[in-house]
Amino acid sequence: MRLLSEGAESRVFVTSIFGKSAVAKLRHAKAYRIEQIDGTLRKTRTKKEARAMNKAREVCGRVPALLGVGKFTLYMEKIEGTLLKDVKNQRVDYGEIGKTLAKMHDADVVHGDFTPANIIINKSGAWIIDFGLSDITDSIEDKALDLLLMKRSIDRKLYAGMESAYSKELKNSKLVLDRLADIEKRGRYQVRSLA
Amino acid sequence: MLVIGIESSAHTFGVGIVSDGKVLANEKMMYDVGTHGIIPVKVAETHIKNSAAVIQSALDKAGIKISELEGVGYTKGPGIGPCLQVGQIAAKTIAKRLKLKIAPVNHAVAHAEITKREGGFKDPIILYVSGGNSQILKITDKPFRHYHILGETFDIGVGNMLDAFAREIKLKPAWGSTVAKLAMEGKYIEMPYTVKGMDFAFSGLLTYASELAGKAKNEDLCYSIQETSFAMLCEATERALLLTNSRELGVCGGVAQSNRLKEMLASVCKEHRMKFGFARNEYNADNGAMIAFVAERMLEKGSHQPLEKCDVQQRYRIDRAMVY
Repeated sequence: MRLLSEGAESRVFVTSIFGKSAVAKLRHAKAYRIEQIDGTLRKTRTKKEARAMNKAREVCGRVPALLGVGKFTLYMEKIEGTLLKDVKNQRVDYGEIGKTLAKMHDADVVHGDFTPANIIINKSGAWIIDFGLSDITDSIEDKALDLLLMKRSIDRKLYAGMESAYSKELKNSKLVLDRLADIEKRGRYQVRSLA
Repeated sequence: MLVIGIESSAHTFGVGIVSDGKVLANEKMMYDVGTHGIIPVKVAETHIKNSAAVIQSALDKAGIKISELEGVGYTKGPGIGPCLQVGQIAAKTIAKRLKLKIAPVNHAVAHAEITKREGGFKDPIILYVSGGNSQILKITDKPFRHYHILGETFDIGVGNMLDAFAREIKLKPAWGSTVAKLAMEGKYIEMPYTVKGMDFAFSGLLTYASELAGKAKNEDLCYSIQETSFAMLCEATERALLLTNSRELGVCGGVAQSNRLKEMLASVCKEHRMKFGFARNEYNADNGAMIAFVAERMLEKGSHQPLEKCDVQQRYRIDRAMVY
């Protein structure tokens, strides 16, 4: 197995399963936190991630197929391409990303770390990866946070394109967008001047 | 340039004097938070009483006369309104009397910048953790040079969270360090852990731990709340470091005085062979030197403000402050 990338909470290896190129994602132990916190987080997140990936793939198709699940390890299909955060001279369809997110939210899959580091761009479009912080929930707040993370990470215009496609695709998108506006308005974003 | 900096955003009235980036004096007097915490008007009254003495003792320490000063800086925010106003008035008075240029400084920028200098950093990620603030920061040049907030708390600062919990179990101040002391004898109890990408939230953890007050051993509660909240900070910070391909991490703010937090962050950096550093505790507590340090550079770059524009902002966000 060859190390492909090292994330904050896991190491991703390239391997092969049934002759097909695959990815193994291992949540390795983190020395900075105590064993009890570390073990619980790694176990529950691995399980949660598997569940969310399966559901997301079912509804939007733009998620790698899961091939196997271990205690701290997920085996999945390998998606070729470039991470959105590293994309330079390539046209990216942000509308498509918005649409994909809307389909996931419609099925109550919340990504939890929806940033340009977790989207792969290739010829067939945008693929959503790393469901490590995902959840299955109807929480409007959590859905709005998915949007907020991306809003903070990309150019304003690109985000606007993504958001408009998102709101067209999702039935109750107004609730989510209103909550997003709410979150941004919360105390710490307000600026008031005293004389 | 000989610059005086005045800090009064919370319970510390601090005065620093800096010349060519070198700190000549860093004096302070603090409001006694007692068991009740900060009462804004009372703190402001104390600051008014102390201000002249602290300014004088800084001048004495630096060995200069007030007439030798060449510039003034003060904390514009974020902080507690009535407290900020005391420092603002003191600074404006000095500037007006001596006809000096004056620079309003963002408190968080000052913590970050002095840490950058002390740690010998070029372009670090800064984890700023204090009572009211918990943010992961990195300088960006667009559209102007400022600290971009990569992640932050969704509700309360980690310092206030630990303080509030400490009052809940009837500990005496200083709360943060008392919690740390008790934590050394504690065992782990599972507690809510909330990280969303590079953001985090502490109020659920606070409620959970507070409800266990009296039902579990204080040592165990302290240990668990501290380990859980610091692990959350570390996880979000590590994610920020990797997302931005950064190689350096600095930690600053009041909670940066915690040895356990520094040990955990050092472990994060060791895993990725990154540089880790922090300022002396004197600069992590609120202080005037960091304000003078940033004010001097602002004045040298010509970014002083006319007196009538020298206001205070309680919620002066770091990403709105230009950095020079």
